Amino acid sequence: MAARGAWTISSLAALQGRIERLVPSGERPLPARASFDLSGLSSLDTAGAWLVDRVTRQLADRGCATTLIGLNLQHQVLVEEIARLRGFSSENEGGSRLLKSVGESFARVAAAGREVLALAAFLGAFLTTMARTVTWQARFRWTAFAHHLEHAGLRAAPIIALICFLIGAVVMQQGALQLATYGAEPYAASMLAVLALREVGVLLTAVMVAGRSASAFTAEIGSMKMREEIAAMRTMGIDPVETLVVPRIMALLIALPLLTFVGDIMCLAGGAVVAVFYLDQSLATFLERLQAAAEPRHFLVGMIKTPFAALVIGLIGCSEGLKVAGSAESLGRYVTAAVVKAIFMVIILGALFAMFLVSIGL
Amino acid sequence: MHTTIDRDVEPMLAADAPGADAVIRVRGVVKRFGSQVLYNGLDLDLQRGEVLGVVGGSGQGKSVLLRCITGLEPYQGGCIEVFGQRMERLNARARAVIERRWGILFQDGALFGALTVLQNIQVPMREHLFLSQATMDELAHLKLAMVGLPATAANKLPSELSGGMRKRAGLARALALDPEIVFLDEPTAGLDPIGATAFDQLIRQLQRTLGLTVYMVTHDLDTLFAICDRVAVLAEKRIYQTGTPSALQTNPSHPWIKDYFQGERGRRLGPMAVVAQ
Repeated sequence: MAARGAWTISSLAALQGRIERLVPSGERPLPARASFDLSGLSSLDTAGAWLVDRVTRQLADRGCATTLIGLNLQHQVLVEEIARLRGFSSENEGGSRLLKSVGESFARVAAAGREVLALAAFLGAFLTTMARTVTWQARFRWTAFAHHLEHAGLRAAPIIALICFLIGAVVMQQGALQLATYGAEPYAASMLAVLALREVGVLLTAVMVAGRSASAFTAEIGSMKMREEIAAMRTMGIDPVETLVVPRIMALLIALPLLTFVGDIMCLAGGAVVAVFYLDQSLATFLERLQAAAEPRHFLVGMIKTPFAALVIGLIGCSEGLKVAGSAESLGRYVTAAVVKAIFMVIILGALFAMFLVSIGL
Repeated sequence: MHTTIDRDVEPMLAADAPGADAVIRVRGVVKRFGSQVLYNGLDLDLQRGEVLGVVGGSGQGKSVLLRCITGLEPYQGGCIEVFGQRMERLNARARAVIERRWGILFQDGALFGALTVLQNIQVPMREHLFLSQATMDELAHLKLAMVGLPATAANKLPSELSGGMRKRAGLARALALDPEIVFLDEPTAGLDPIGATAFDQLIRQLQRTLGLTVYMVTHDLDTLFAICDRVAVLAEKRIYQTGTPSALQTNPSHPWIKDYFQGERGRRLGPMAVVAQ
C-alpha cells in the first residue's frame, strides 16, 4: 500500500470512504505481511495520523502485520504519538439506555423530594431568625426592609392596578353577556364582586408579584452568591438569613395584602366602567348590587390567603437565590426556576384555600 | 479550498532565522479607543514554527492586539497579513478559510457551558467537516489525550472541571481542526506553579509534535524562559523590542523591559540566574 497527497482533517471523510473500498473485506484471507508506504504524503496532521494508525490496527486485527515505511521525521513523531495516546482514550461507558433513563427518572423524583425538604428547612431558618428578631436577639434591618417594600410593593402597584382593572372589565363584560341569556344580566355585578374579592384579585396580584419579585430576589441573592459576597458575610459574622432573607420576606408580607387590596378595588372599578359605558347601567344600580353581594367575608377570604402567598413567593425567591453556584448560566437557570415554582405554588395554594374555605362554610 | 502545507520545516526554528517565513505580518497598525491611542504604527512578525511571547505592562493592549489579529476588534490604520493575505481585504468566505487554520485558547477556555467537553471539541468539526459521529468521537478522544486530560473528563460539563482542566479542554478545542497557528491568551494565568509548568511543557510538546506556530499573550516570566523562542514587548504604543528572552534580559532597551526582566522575579531566571550562581 502507498499513501499520497495530503492526509489532513479536511480530506478525512473522503479518505475514509476510499480506504473502506480498498481494504479487502469479508473472509478473504490477507497476506501475513504488508507494508504501508507513506513517502508520498505531502502533509499529515493528527487526523491523518489517526487514520494511518486505524488502518494498521484493522489489518493487524485480521492477522496482517503492517510496517510503515518511508516516513519523514516529523510524520514519524506524529504517528508514534497518536499510537501512544490511543491507549488512553476510552470508549463511552456502557450500560443499557433504558436502565439509565429509569435511573434518571428516579433520581429526579428523589431530587424533587429533597427540594421540598430543603424548602421546609429554609422556612424553619426564616422562622427561627424571626423568633430571634422579636426577642431582640437579632437585628431587624429597617433600611433593607423599606427598600424592598418600595421595590416589591410600591413599584408593583401600577402594573397590578392596570391588569386587575382590565381583567375586572373582561369578567364583567363576559358575565353580563352569558347571564343575559337567562335574563339575569343585572346579577353580573354580584358575580364580579364575589369573584374579584375571593379569587381573581388575590390570584392576579400574587402571580404578578411572583413574576416580578421572586425573580428579582433570586437574581439579587444569586449574583451575591456568585461573587462570594455571601461567603464573605458569613466570615464577618453576619447572618445572610437575617440581612437578606428576613427583610425581603417581611416586605412581601406587608406589600402583598396592600397590593391585593389595590387589585380588588381596581377589579371592581373595571367592572363599574363596563357596567356604565358598555352595558348602559347606572352607576348607582351597579353600586347597589355590588354592596348587596360584596359581604365582608368574601373580602376576608381573599385577604387571608395573601400572607401565605407572600411567604411562598419570598421563600422560593430567596432559597433559589442561595442555590446559585459559580457560573452565570446557573444564575439564569435558578431565576427561571424561581418564577415557575413561585407561580405554580401560588396557584396550588389558591386552589387548596378555595376548597378548604368553602367547605368550612365561608 | 485547503492548501497543502509544508510541515517538513524543523519544528524548532531559531528566532529570526534566515529563510523563516512569516505567517503573520502586522504593519503600522493604529488602534484608538475614542481619543486614547493604544497603538501608533505597530509592527510585528510571527515566523512559522516559532513560539512568540507577547508581553507588556497592564493596559498596553496585549489582549487587544490578539483580538485585532484574529479579527475580533477593528483597528483604524495599518494592515495585518495572515498566511500572506491582507485580512481587512478578505470577504467573509475567505476569512472563514483562514479562521479554520488557526485555533484560539481564551483565558478561561471559553467552553460552551451547555455542552460536554467532548461535544465542545466536536463543535468545530461538526461545523466545518462532514465526519461520522464515530470518527468525531475517536478524534475528540484523541485530542483529549493529547492535552493530557483523562478519558473520564470527556462527558463532564465545563462547570464540573477545575480551572486548569478547563484550559486544557479549551486547548483541545482549539486543536480540533489541526490548526497551523495557535493563539494563547494568558495560558498560565490562574494556575498554580506546578500546573503552570505542566501547561508550559504541554504547549512545548504539542508545538514540537504538531509543528505548530504559537502566539502567546502572557506575563509569566517562567513561561517566557521555558518555552518562548522569541519575545515581543509592547511599550510606547508599539512593539518596542523583540528578541530571545535572554537577549532582552541582557540588553533591555526600555526601563519597563529592564524592570521586567531584571527585577526580583526576573533575576532568578535566564542568563542572570547563571551569573548569580
